Amino acid sequence: MASSTVSCSVVFTTQTPYPLPSQKYMIPTNWKRFHLSQLINKALTLVKPIPFDFLVKGELLRTSLGEWCTENNIGEEETLEVEYIESVMPPQKMSDIPHDDWVSSVSCQMAGYFYTASYDGYVRLFDYSQKPVLSAPAHSAPITSLCSIPESKFIGDEDKSSHLIATSSHDLCAQITRISLPSDSTSKSESKAIARLHLHTAPVSSIASNSTGTHLLTSSWDTLIGVWDTTVPTSDEVPEPLINERERKKRRKLNGGTTESTFKRKAPTMVLKSHTDRVSRVVFGNPGSESTVYSCGFDSTVRLWDVENGVCTRTITSSEKPFVDLALNSDGHTALAASTDRTVTLYDVREASSNHSISTSSGSLVHTATPSCLSTGATPHQVFTGAYDGVVRLWDLRSMKSAITSFKAWDGMKKVLSIDWKRGMVGIGGEGGFEVWKVVEDLHS
Amino acid sequence: MTIQARSSKKRKQHGQDEASDTFNEAVNLEMLSDEEDKEDVESDNGEVDEFPEIDAGSEESGEEDETYKSEEDTGASGEGSSSGSQEQLHIFPEVKTIVSDITGQEKRVYPEIEPDYDSDSSTEDTPNRVGDIPMHWYDDLPHVGYDMDGKRVLKPARGDELDRFLKTVEDPNSWTSAFDKKAQADKPLTAEELDIIRRLYANENPDADYDPYEPLTEWFTGPGKEEIMPLTAAPEPKRRWIPSKWEHKKVMKIVRAIRQGRILPNRTKNTSQPPFYAIWGDSSSSNAPPLPAPKPTLPTNSESYNPPEEYLPTEEDKKQWEETDPEDREHDYLPQKYSALRLVPGYERFIKDRFNRQLDLYMAPRVQRVKLNIDPNSLIPKLPSPSSLKPFPTYKSLKVVHTHIARCISVSPDGAWVVSGDEGGVVRLWEVNVGREVKKWKFDGKIGSIEWCPRTDVSYFVVGTDDMLHFLIPPNLPASILQLTQSILAPSTLPPAPETPSPVKWSTPSSNTWTDETAVLTIHLPPSSGLPTQITWHRRGDYLASVSIGGSQGAVWIHQVSRRHSQAPFKKVRGKVQMVLFHPMKPCFFVATQQYVRMYNLSEQKLLKTLQPGIKWISSMDVHPSGDHLIVGGYDRKLCWFDLELSDKPYKVLRYHTRAIRSLHFHPTYPLFASSSDDGAIQIFHSRVYNDLMTDPLIVPLKILRGHEITKGLGVLQVKWCSRHPWLVSGGADGAVNVWCS
Repeated sequence: MASSTVSCSVVFTTQTPYPLPSQKYMIPTNWKRFHLSQLINKALTLVKPIPFDFLVKGELLRTSLGEWCTENNIGEEETLEVEYIESVMPPQKMSDIPHDDWVSSVSCQMAGYFYTASYDGYVRLFDYSQKPVLSAPAHSAPITSLCSIPESKFIGDEDKSSHLIATSSHDLCAQITRISLPSDSTSKSESKAIARLHLHTAPVSSIASNSTGTHLLTSSWDTLIGVWDTTVPTSDEVPEPLINERERKKRRKLNGGTTESTFKRKAPTMVLKSHTDRVSRVVFGNPGSESTVYSCGFDSTVRLWDVENGVCTRTITSSEKPFVDLALNSDGHTALAASTDRTVTLYDVREASSNHSISTSSGSLVHTATPSCLSTGATPHQVFTGAYDGVVRLWDLRSMKSAITSFKAWDGMKKVLSIDWKRGMVGIGGEGGFEVWKVVEDLHS
Repeated sequence: MTIQARSSKKRKQHGQDEASDTFNEAVNLEMLSDEEDKEDVESDNGEVDEFPEIDAGSEESGEEDETYKSEEDTGASGEGSSSGSQEQLHIFPEVKTIVSDITGQEKRVYPEIEPDYDSDSSTEDTPNRVGDIPMHWYDDLPHVGYDMDGKRVLKPARGDELDRFLKTVEDPNSWTSAFDKKAQADKPLTAEELDIIRRLYANENPDADYDPYEPLTEWFTGPGKEEIMPLTAAPEPKRRWIPSKWEHKKVMKIVRAIRQGRILPNRTKNTSQPPFYAIWGDSSSSNAPPLPAPKPTLPTNSESYNPPEEYLPTEEDKKQWEETDPEDREHDYLPQKYSALRLVPGYERFIKDRFNRQLDLYMAPRVQRVKLNIDPNSLIPKLPSPSSLKPFPTYKSLKVVHTHIARCISVSPDGAWVVSGDEGGVVRLWEVNVGREVKKWKFDGKIGSIEWCPRTDVSYFVVGTDDMLHFLIPPNLPASILQLTQSILAPSTLPPAPETPSPVKWSTPSSNTWTDETAVLTIHLPPSSGLPTQITWHRRGDYLASVSIGGSQGAVWIHQVSRRHSQAPFKKVRGKVQMVLFHPMKPCFFVATQQYVRMYNLSEQKLLKTLQPGIKWISSMDVHPSGDHLIVGGYDRKLCWFDLELSDKPYKVLRYHTRAIRSLHFHPTYPLFASSSDDGAIQIFHSRVYNDLMTDPLIVPLKILRGHEITKGLGVLQVKWCSRHPWLVSGGADGAVNVWCS
């Protein structure tokens, strides 16, 4: 019935490469996302239909326009400004690789391969066809974090056939391991620990590498952050601790009966001390601003460090938010920190806002369970979070009230401990093993 | 006039003889003029003479008359012979002695006394005896009154105006005469009277003898005559200061009358009320005025004869109205619309309405109910809102599952690790905020208790199984901590054994056989002492106390790790010990038996105080980190807060759980405590303790955490806080160990 439809005026804006001419449209208020998407597709006469999502005042449109107006107390006379973005396709599960133990960290940074680190102390390598390439013991204790060290011209001829990874563990040290990939299908891949990083007196919680692979960062429960370079020393920089007979025997047993250790003991180039409680995550800044280091800890602070001078340049303090994970946006303007009060909070970390003494939280993503890990993609407004209820959520930072999409890993209440999003693939590690989902990044905007 | 003058002359013999004589001489004329009335005087005398005859009846009276006559005659005859007559008068009357006719005896008879001359009466000088009457009554009569004998006193002849004029001219005394009404004649005024008139004219005192200027005779004033002394020298009489005897007698008389009831004091005046009442008047009674009758409800729009359209019922409304019972109808009428008031029919429910109104008036209870105008919210004590007391645990972050009942848990001093033991003999070590089990130990029999050593320079925990306490070292320790821990638990040189052999054995396996799976040190409690249900550490981490149940011997042991020595602090314990605790500051020791909590001083070996929680069976207790407060929970669902400085009785008793309380724990740094119960719930309380002794502790219930399932009637068996964060770890009978985060 034409008489019963009430219209409201709408102006469409977009940052996608499909702009509409800016003019007012009279849209029936009972239209939903699907109708609006169809309208734009028809107005643009796109050959291949593209689904769009609509942001009204920074909120994703989930209901009809009229219902949204009544919920937000907006009269029908007002002109709504609606921004449309390309819809995120529902994630598709690509593979499921079960593990013997919980997977504490995953990495999708190496093209063609997935790395997983597990609580049983093993580092595993899979290629895209889910075939296990390598399963090597790296630590005698649970591994907490893993990162790959990109090598540009470190070793020229072995460029394709070997990777360098760094792992951190409960056994108080981090380790740099060289993974040799098989040249053909018959030979086996090998792993060789080349350096051990000795600084911490408590379990190391995270390790991170810069984009050029020259430096490493480790954070630990003993409130310290270590800065390391990746050069392998020719001799032990740290003396071997006085261990009694029993330990030595055990160590010998672990190293396969060889008394000679294959790795060198390495000392940090710098120690960053300012946190008052456990440091849970430390990351380098984005490429181009890697002299800035970001860390978060259980003392409810996010700290910015000048790594060249080794000083804490800024401290963002919040109240009673023990942070467990931190991620930087791709534009480097904001940092996201997950805390145990079930929120992921967005902080402005730009220099311009540093003169504000108050912690500037520009919003938070509310979860129903403890968010344990974060991964920002190539776009600055999209972030994946994994939580202890086994749900992985994709958020759009322009619409922080609810997640854009979410899916359950392992179909149950299994904790998600690690997440990495690269090249349209989301690697999820946790209680149930390792899963890969396909989520296309919104690269247009 | 003559008569009067003469008689006056006769009677005023003593005082005024000379004056009257002189006056008579002066007014001689008048005397002469009165001679024409000589007959009257004669007649008067004759009448007086006749008097004895009337009175007589006896012979003697005549004789007496004679003497009287003679006296009168002598008096009248000459003034010169007055002395002779006075002599006769002074002779006492002669007494006659006669024989009485009645008795026949002699009797004396005295002559009668003549009162006429002896008595001095100045009023008897006028013959006219009419008295003081208006004399004009006699104006038309020829007489002017009557004399003593009733005879008329005739008016004297009055001359005409000419005579009167002539008299004023001729008679020189006429201007000094005045008209006498009684005598109806002019009478000349006497010299005294004239003198009086003259004095009155001159405004003088009429009395000639009055001297207004008498000399003052000073009898009492003046020099030498002052009264120095009182008039009498008599002492003050006693009656001046004693109560009057007679007044007392009179009062007593009244009192006696009152006592006997003859006088009724304060008797209500018998004011007889009229037998009618002022029913229309304003009654001024003390009762409250009667309540007004309930008001009839005012008509509404829908009751109008022409209501707006929206009040008119639809067909469905009408049908529904007719179908419902009259008692259930919202209105007892259906709105109806008439275009004009004259079309409105008679109101068929009028009688019914009036009847209902009467019922309202009669049956309405006219009782004034005193409403207590108390806001129920004001009775609730003012507590801060839980949202202002953040942080506190609000949700279940993660869960670690045991296969058996998870009876005991302990959190490491740095708050990073949790060890939990179950009844299957499994001890798990896991991270607090990941929940990943890092290591697992397996023992024979149930794990009764588990406790982490509070020291931060070493790291180990104690697990209590049947008759044994095992000391375990967690893996992945830094080398320095590991070496120190090993040197404490298994020193290379054992301390000297105590002199008195103890039933408790300390044993350490040789260092060759050490593995991560076995205990570094084991304390063997006396056999059949049962499962240690509780292990508690002294804050320095050298002493630990264990409580076993089911054993026959003393259940409480205090172990000293550095000396490898155990002792039983109590030789004999009254009641069954449930829990023990070390005081966080002082060398004190709390022992909870089934009904009492005793506080001992360990250094002085004496009982300090006995707390009476009023709980039938104590299940758990914990001491506040400040050491001044103690919470005690019981199987009878009560939770008692003791202020140790205040009293032996609970400061506050909280009864929030529906089943038995199993465990209590104070947060070491945050103002929080938690209680767990068999009802499967954990309750979080805010407990702020103030340093000044005047402010009471503030206890605010914050949150009930539900998430444990009740298994075999058991709920949450133990709760423990993480030391640095407001996170709670709870172990339940369902085998789950939950971490609750804020």
